[in-house]
Amino acid sequence: MYHPGDIIEAIAANLRATRNPFGIPHFIVNRWWREAGLTAHGDAMLFTGMMYQFVPYIETSTTYLAKYEDTPLAAYLRYARYAPGYLSGLGLAAITPAREKRRFDRILQDIVRLLKASEVDFYYRPELDRYSGILLYDLGDQEGFVRHARWLANRLQKAGIKKLITVDPHTTYALKELFPKYTGVRFEVHPYFELLRLGGGNGRRTTVALHDPCFYGRYLGLSDVPARALADLGIDCAPVDRSGAYTHCCGGPAESISPRLAGEVGQRRLDQLAQTGAPIVAMCPICLGNLRKLGAEVRDLSSVMAENL
Amino acid sequence: MTLLSPDFAEELKRYSDDTALACFNCGTCTAICPLIDGHFPRKMIRYVQIGAKERILENAPELWKCLHCGLCTQTCPREANPGELILGLKRLVISHWRKA
Repeated sequence: MYHPGDIIEAIAANLRATRNPFGIPHFIVNRWWREAGLTAHGDAMLFTGMMYQFVPYIETSTTYLAKYEDTPLAAYLRYARYAPGYLSGLGLAAITPAREKRRFDRILQDIVRLLKASEVDFYYRPELDRYSGILLYDLGDQEGFVRHARWLANRLQKAGIKKLITVDPHTTYALKELFPKYTGVRFEVHPYFELLRLGGGNGRRTTVALHDPCFYGRYLGLSDVPARALADLGIDCAPVDRSGAYTHCCGGPAESISPRLAGEVGQRRLDQLAQTGAPIVAMCPICLGNLRKLGAEVRDLSSVMAENL
Repeated sequence: MTLLSPDFAEELKRYSDDTALACFNCGTCTAICPLIDGHFPRKMIRYVQIGAKERILENAPELWKCLHCGLCTQTCPREANPGELILGLKRLVISHWRKA
């Protein structure tokens, strides 16, 4: 286990300096939309919150963290907070495989396909789509989270944004619950699957093991909605031990402080999902990344739905 | 031996909901916690109840094992909100570290 203070201060310093917890410049992280054929005007703005885009960088950084966890070298992490944000961010971006970045960009492109197929009136403005700061909230850096959240809420408010379509549970929770509480700014927030109208499907009936993330299953009580969207396409959800409000964590939230612990908790969840014998599907980038790291073949909800259109 | 701070619950109010005293230490939170790690989080909540601030600060890194998954809060029979108390303790500890 790393000293939490070292991890928190490094993330907080990056977020302060670059608005990105890893220090990676925004134009490098957010490239998925370039070939998605999106307009800049419509009823609701698609807001990715950068979580899917971050996963390849999280995977690279946690591979190194796993290597040095509980070794004498771990103590040197305390100096990470002094490294210039963009410098360490560019380094991380350079060593992260391009194929992984493309893999997670494709998930967002699949979400666009689903929204278009459902005739949802939406638009995208990449300059306004920024990280919510949720990791600092989860780690307990309330001051850092509120400062960042106020900056983002103010930016969206100034641009006249009222309605947001989100793609992951962490950003959804931040915008729906935390932003009104800590910034006083309220947006109308919908996770993308709430807006899907995809009747029919391609005629093939399949069954999947859908992993409910804690924030959708428990904090936001939304488990039934993605299951219904899958059912509309002829995809059944196998009963999973510990689901809905009682879902089991994937272990991902511990991956920066202790990759070992994240692996242990994730393996327990993976065993529960594997018991169904059905292909495993996740709908949170953190869950997807952590369960994949354990060697499981896990697909994102949007990709499974897009391929069954 | 541990020095107890009788006003610790008051201090924690700045960082968290004031629910620690609702806990009757049944251990449901520990039984349900996906960490399966000793007496976590029950032990930390007991420390809050008795004002054992020093013990919490000595064992502070343990707080970050918490995944903030909310399962303890979901199942707590006393609605003591253990998950939010642990988050509040993290905030208190960070504030303490930053002042040090």
